[in-house]
Amino acid sequence: MQFSLFKDARYFQIIFQSVFLVYGILYLHWNADWFLYGTYFITSITTQFICEIVFNKNKLKIFSAAWFLKLQAGIPSALISSFGLSLLLKTNHYYIAAFAAFISIVSKYLIRINGKHIFNPSALGIVAAIYFTGNAWISPGQWGSNMVILFGVLSLGFIVTTRVQKIDVSLAFLITFGGLLYVRQITYLGWPMDFFIQSISTGSLLLFTFFMITDPKTTPNHSIARIIWAMAVAAVAFYLTTFKFINGAPIWVLIFAQPLVPVLDKLFKAKPFQWANNKKLTPKENRFLQAVYTHAVM
Amino acid sequence: MKRKLLIIGVFIALSPILFSFCGFYVSKADGTLKNKTSQVILVRDGSRTVITMYNDYKGDTKDFAMVVPVPVVLKKDDIHVVDQSIFQRLNDYSAPRLVEYWDQNPCSSYEEDEKTKVLSNRGFSNDKSAPASIMKKDMGVKIEAKYLVGEYDILILSAKESGGLKEWLTINGYKIPEGAEEVLDPYIRSNLKFFVVKVNEAEKKKLPGNFLRPLQIGFNSPKFMLPIRLGMANADGDQDLIVYAFTRKGRIECTNYRNVDIPTGNNVPLFVQKNFGAFYSNLFDKQWNSEDKSVGFLEYAWDVSPQNFYHCDPCTATAPSEQDLVQSGVWWLKGKDWNDYSDIDNDDPNNANKNVHFTRLHFRYNRKSFAQDLMFQVTPNTETFQARYVITHPATGNFTCAAGRKYLQELKQRRKNELLQLTVLTGKNIDNWEEAAAAKNDEEDIAEAQYANLIPEIKQDMKNENNSPVGILLISAVMLGSAGLLRWKGLV
Repeated sequence: MQFSLFKDARYFQIIFQSVFLVYGILYLHWNADWFLYGTYFITSITTQFICEIVFNKNKLKIFSAAWFLKLQAGIPSALISSFGLSLLLKTNHYYIAAFAAFISIVSKYLIRINGKHIFNPSALGIVAAIYFTGNAWISPGQWGSNMVILFGVLSLGFIVTTRVQKIDVSLAFLITFGGLLYVRQITYLGWPMDFFIQSISTGSLLLFTFFMITDPKTTPNHSIARIIWAMAVAAVAFYLTTFKFINGAPIWVLIFAQPLVPVLDKLFKAKPFQWANNKKLTPKENRFLQAVYTHAVM
Repeated sequence: MKRKLLIIGVFIALSPILFSFCGFYVSKADGTLKNKTSQVILVRDGSRTVITMYNDYKGDTKDFAMVVPVPVVLKKDDIHVVDQSIFQRLNDYSAPRLVEYWDQNPCSSYEEDEKTKVLSNRGFSNDKSAPASIMKKDMGVKIEAKYLVGEYDILILSAKESGGLKEWLTINGYKIPEGAEEVLDPYIRSNLKFFVVKVNEAEKKKLPGNFLRPLQIGFNSPKFMLPIRLGMANADGDQDLIVYAFTRKGRIECTNYRNVDIPTGNNVPLFVQKNFGAFYSNLFDKQWNSEDKSVGFLEYAWDVSPQNFYHCDPCTATAPSEQDLVQSGVWWLKGKDWNDYSDIDNDDPNNANKNVHFTRLHFRYNRKSFAQDLMFQVTPNTETFQARYVITHPATGNFTCAAGRKYLQELKQRRKNELLQLTVLTGKNIDNWEEAAAAKNDEEDIAEAQYANLIPEIKQDMKNENNSPVGILLISAVMLGSAGLLRWKGLV
């Protein structure tokens, strides 16, 4: 088969996420909780497998070649969700880790409008685990504030190499959020510049900006809608961070903003996003990709 | 074994005496903590915070003054003085510890009991200063409240702008250090109040002893933070801050700086016992530098609920009692006043209500690495942690049997590893430890495994020891390069 592994942007995302994880463990000296990571990965993949059996919408014969292709097409997404959880969500209990991974994957199958899932799977898993169990947390300080260059290089590299991620979403979010913070911290409160720089250069914020809010499946299709939406997320996240002292506010806001995406898609018509870059494809590849992506759940 | 702990904290002290302070204090050679070490107890549950500030002021009490930014106007009931010894107990209990084990002689026929002993460490001291006399004159400064608590006269001020506040403080005898204005304005605009303290001489005279007791304040605010920026205004160089935190749910962690566990569980040479202070202070310096300074180190975390009897392994001191915890501000352990119905909705007969989790964080901050105040969050993380280093005494007797000779070989290798571990942990070259290693130790009867004799061998082995953070950048570069290559080859 001529289908190349790297035709699919998700593999890049997996590589970048694994670099972040390795960086965190080796250089930032996180407590590498291998059992926790293992739980995320095993639960995600198992859930994906089961969901492919239970929600087999186009009635593929289970365990047939076509069914396996479809399952295989969904695996990278499950890996991305697992990495997302490994990077952000902490808990002392494996059943909570399993719960978060389960919610992430199942939400992709259950909560859908117009063939698109609504929630960013790992963001939903994180929010659900924190809110419903009360025994999980995120550590906004875990990246420190000295990672601008690394994040910048990797994020740009990611955008350039994949041409999938929409830089407009990242920029709209970052400029709005940063601008509001600047006005509040420097102009209004009068803190010195390094105070602001520390707020804006935290790894958690950059990771969110370039790897979470950009998920093309859960952002509006139309570019204007996308920008308005990202700015709105930034404004609300700013308000909650600054005046309500909520940690990890962007992730919470993202979860509540994602149901707006189908509405915006109705108002602003545009071609929906497809993972693979289907230019220059042979008819055979095209047929294959169509088979995979029109039905694949990501 | 002695360690020195000094303090300055969230407060600014504002007099000429303050400036002589830095030269006045000389750190003891065996101190594990730096000269300028502040200690704070933080208790947090829901939106209530109780902060207790250690006061080690030793000068003339007439010259004492301190200013703490607080989010609300405190009521008199929210301010207490507490027993100074509580800090000593919390420090002794949660400080990094050295544990010792004894090897058994493989040639002996009887089994010796394995002994474990904890070498604890204590010692304290501290200073701080400034004069104060207070009078009323409006400069956009409003006295929101005025209390006498214990030996302290307390004012709670609000201000409209830093200029007015500065003038007011100056007129009233507080000398504002250079650089304080940078933070006063942001604090005023963030609507913070200023908790201003001086000593009431009449009340002070009624008390025995020549020391000032720690002040404890409590308030409700969603902000869970420690204002360290004001303290930086008058301090040059690095300041250490030890935070003892108590929550109902689990550990606290810093949300705007990285949290790093201090290395723990390492086997170190026997002679560390006699130099534990120097060892830990070197270790801390090394870790602080290698973690890029803007970090908070975890030194201890444990469930210390009164109903939980297993508090550490091993303990350096007796665990804080329920009374100690109440003194520290853990209000949910206080005996219930059954005539008080005001908080009837909060009554919870459940035992979980009595949970107390203890976190000890160690910060070393300076103006450059810490642009922001410390912000915290309570996490449900209940995992335990302690900074613990292990020394192992060799077996005694003769080692003529086969197992004995094997033991000596192993001992030699183990000690080499311990020495290497020591250099890695402290970042101090092996040469720096030669003197300590040559000093009389209790393992002298085993000549071939003496640390001093092993050091030359180690030096040879140590050529290829290097781990640099450049590695990760290299990986990224290689990755991007290969991605570019793939693209160039048209594979992507």
